[in-house]
Amino acid sequence: MTGAGTTADALDPLIHVPARLRIVATLAALPDGDALSFTRLQNMIGLTPGNLITHLRKLEDAGYLSSEKTGNGVASRTSVALSNRGRAALDTYTAALRDLLAGL
Amino acid sequence: MGENTDMNGTRAVDEGSELDPRTAATLLEQTKRRAQHQFEFPSPLLTLIQAGAVLAAYGAIWLSVRGQNPYSGPSYAALAALYAFVAVAAIAATLEGRRASAGVIRRSSRQQWSRAIPLVAAFLAVYVLMGALRYDGFSHAIVYGILPAAGPLIVVGAAMAGYAAAREEWQVLGVAVAAIAVGAGSAFAGPAGVWGVAGAGICAVLVCRAIAQVWLRRA
Repeated sequence: MTGAGTTADALDPLIHVPARLRIVATLAALPDGDALSFTRLQNMIGLTPGNLITHLRKLEDAGYLSSEKTGNGVASRTSVALSNRGRAALDTYTAALRDLLAGL
Repeated sequence: MGENTDMNGTRAVDEGSELDPRTAATLLEQTKRRAQHQFEFPSPLLTLIQAGAVLAAYGAIWLSVRGQNPYSGPSYAALAALYAFVAVAAIAATLEGRRASAGVIRRSSRQQWSRAIPLVAAFLAVYVLMGALRYDGFSHAIVYGILPAAGPLIVVGAAMAGYAAAREEWQVLGVAVAAIAVGAGSAFAGPAGVWGVAGAGICAVLVCRAIAQVWLRRA
């Protein structure tokens, strides 16, 4: 779908939510393959832990990001990284958004 | 998923909220910029600090050696000043690096080493070459003047340029090629003048980089 033919429906509903858009855009600013700790992501996005987890789960279930947990108990650390699929989805979303705005 | 966090059943606040495409585009752009800004290393401020440190370090040596005839080399005080300014730049870079990379897990620590090793090897090679030339009877003007001032810029610049070209980091490549040009060109200024020309040249290159970084942020 391109140009004036693009409608808001073409925007990936998984990304087209403020919190998830910010999560994906933040992770996309890292070099391919690098991961970000949950704590720093939370600081950068400004969501509550529970809310952030819910959004991350949805993105992970769709294969847009991967998470890795190291350590146990209070010393546990979780990191998240945008997958190739997630990066491609953001590119597609950005292109669709551009087409949509160009057609307005 | 996170540290000490409730992982079950929390409903996302934004779920179901309407997002206007224009607002989405603005949010996407702002978030990208903010994230790039926070992950950016070196920042324009650090680049300016490095520019000042290089100018001060090379300037201290130049003040020590200018007018020497025959050339005998920098004083110990000037060398101490040079290392002090290098230390200031290194400390600033370390602190800034920690800030930018806090919470970032790199794909491979080997990648970081692959960047550092050629730079360190190239830098050390200059000092080995200085020793060899001194051993072979070359003059103080070459061994303690032109080579230590221009040599690191050429060899470290070349190592950086190769790495940056391979990774398509065009801004770093530009700085590296400019460093090579400054190093080679400054050698024409003679054993004393090379310190002043190289210091001013690298300072100008780094200031240009800082300006380019700020400009790219706003573009």
